[in-house]
Amino acid sequence: MQYKSQAVAKPYFIAAIGLFVGQILFGLIIGMQYVVGDFLFPEIPFNVARMVHTNLLIVWLLFGFMGAAYYLVPEESERELVSPGLAILMFWVFLIAGALTVLGYLLVPYSGLAEMTGNSVLPTMGREFLEQPTITKAGIVVVALAFLYNVGLTILKGRKTVVSLVLLIGLAGLAVLFLFSFYNPDNLAKDKFYWWWVVHLWVEGVWELILGSILAFVLIKTTGVDREVIEKWLYVIIAMTLITGIIGTGHHYYWIGTPDYWQWWGSIFSALEPIPFFMMTVFAFNMVNRRRRNHPNKAAVLWALGTAVMAFLGAGVWGFLHTLAPVNYYTHGSQITAAHGHMAFYGAYVMIVLTMISYAMPMLRGRSAANSEASQVLEMWSFWLMTVSMVFITLFLTGAGILQTYLQRYSSDPLPFMVVQEKISLFYWMREVAGLMFLIGLVVYVASFFVGSRQPEATAVVEGSAA
Amino acid sequence: MSSSAKASDGSGTAIAAESLYLVNLLLAPGLGFLILLAVWWRQHRRAPPLAAAHLAQTLSGSVWAGVLLVVVNAFIVLLGGYHGAHVWVIVILYFTFCHSMLVLFGAYGLSKAMAGQCWRYPLIGRPLPAGCPK
Repeated sequence: MQYKSQAVAKPYFIAAIGLFVGQILFGLIIGMQYVVGDFLFPEIPFNVARMVHTNLLIVWLLFGFMGAAYYLVPEESERELVSPGLAILMFWVFLIAGALTVLGYLLVPYSGLAEMTGNSVLPTMGREFLEQPTITKAGIVVVALAFLYNVGLTILKGRKTVVSLVLLIGLAGLAVLFLFSFYNPDNLAKDKFYWWWVVHLWVEGVWELILGSILAFVLIKTTGVDREVIEKWLYVIIAMTLITGIIGTGHHYYWIGTPDYWQWWGSIFSALEPIPFFMMTVFAFNMVNRRRRNHPNKAAVLWALGTAVMAFLGAGVWGFLHTLAPVNYYTHGSQITAAHGHMAFYGAYVMIVLTMISYAMPMLRGRSAANSEASQVLEMWSFWLMTVSMVFITLFLTGAGILQTYLQRYSSDPLPFMVVQEKISLFYWMREVAGLMFLIGLVVYVASFFVGSRQPEATAVVEGSAA
Repeated sequence: MSSSAKASDGSGTAIAAESLYLVNLLLAPGLGFLILLAVWWRQHRRAPPLAAAHLAQTLSGSVWAGVLLVVVNAFIVLLGGYHGAHVWVIVILYFTFCHSMLVLFGAYGLSKAMAGQCWRYPLIGRPLPAGCPK
């Protein structure tokens, strides 16, 4: 670790992993509720468990992004963070606010939570992914502002690199676009229109900038390829991301009461959205092929390459699968969407956070570059267990979605929703089994932090040597 | 790398071959293959090992892609019937999975070509010629 203040990243990473475990447990609960409807009812109803599953995902990824930024920025800026104390204070504010919100979801009926937290003063609750009480949203804004102040000032006072500036643009965009969660018009079409400015422009816009910059940083550090080469790739990737992603928002506007032209704009631009992900795949492999050194942290390199591949498959291929308006007319809101959502979030954002944790955590725990061989072997096992499980989760959900679309919407004799759900339950069972495998992978991942911690650090193998 | 250096080591042709393989899969099916076939026809006898390897991989990969994506799918539909719900589950899952894997082979092949290295496509690739940089 080159700068003392990078240490503030550690609690963020630990919290991220803890919340990740919670997210997966709730995912398994709702997976079971798909097939055993009254599982854990009335203690944990489906709608509450789903809300906790998705909200925990967002919160732990935000913890991960913040931790990544706090680790990356001092090294890129070649100076200490402006205020490590503020970073730690905001960590506790965010963690406590997040924990209280989840407890509120679980212990208080949602309408009661809205009443308790004064939602009527500025109503923002009740919308998918943005269910947080208004007061929590205000807290997120405070944390985001303090975070941007800390990171932004460090970047502006220090060395400015393409990596840190792209990261800053991504983080600033993340904060600014979140403000649309406070806009909650009565008109449902308008509500949905701006709701996507948070949801879509996060995951298919500014978050991709964060992903690109973190991936570039890790590849610079692990491959030793010239910064200039990597930065050129990054420029082109983020340009393509923004060109396709911003107007690509239109693929959410097909059926919400917006003008018909969105079916053309949305189809054309979102059909181009796989391009930046494809470029990211070629970029990552190209950098590793041209590497000047073998980094001892093989697990981090594996996560980096895995991110590029899985993001392309999940966000690119599975997004394209149902993005054209004539296809989406039939598939909208089916399990195909769920399949895409699972693999895209895992590939693009879960894996990039785990890439950064894998790269930074050994240094944060006092190693010079990498964990021991034993620890890395376990971590790489967790990579394959989680990734293969996610591929199966996606395939099973896709199968369910195709059958659902056909039986419920395409056939000449369409069946009712619940009848179809019964018919596709085999896919839901198989998804649940794959989910359990994913949990095992996650347990192995957590275990990798404790195994081999007293063994010596792994060293880079020189290519062509015997051992 | 200068253009004359690219011509002598064959990396320009190697990159073009991988790009045409991807064009055939992603943008212009058939047309990409025909251009790739023309490039292979003109260059495969006198190409340096790097270019020869990538030309052979991509040509073989494209032929296999045609078999796996068109012929096999046609068989599934012919055997299962156009109106079977389960047929479409198999066709779409199979096509998406298979097509994605073929594209990933191409992406990796392209990155190898850009790095001036040879690479044999798993399962569907031809053996690499002697003297090929790995």
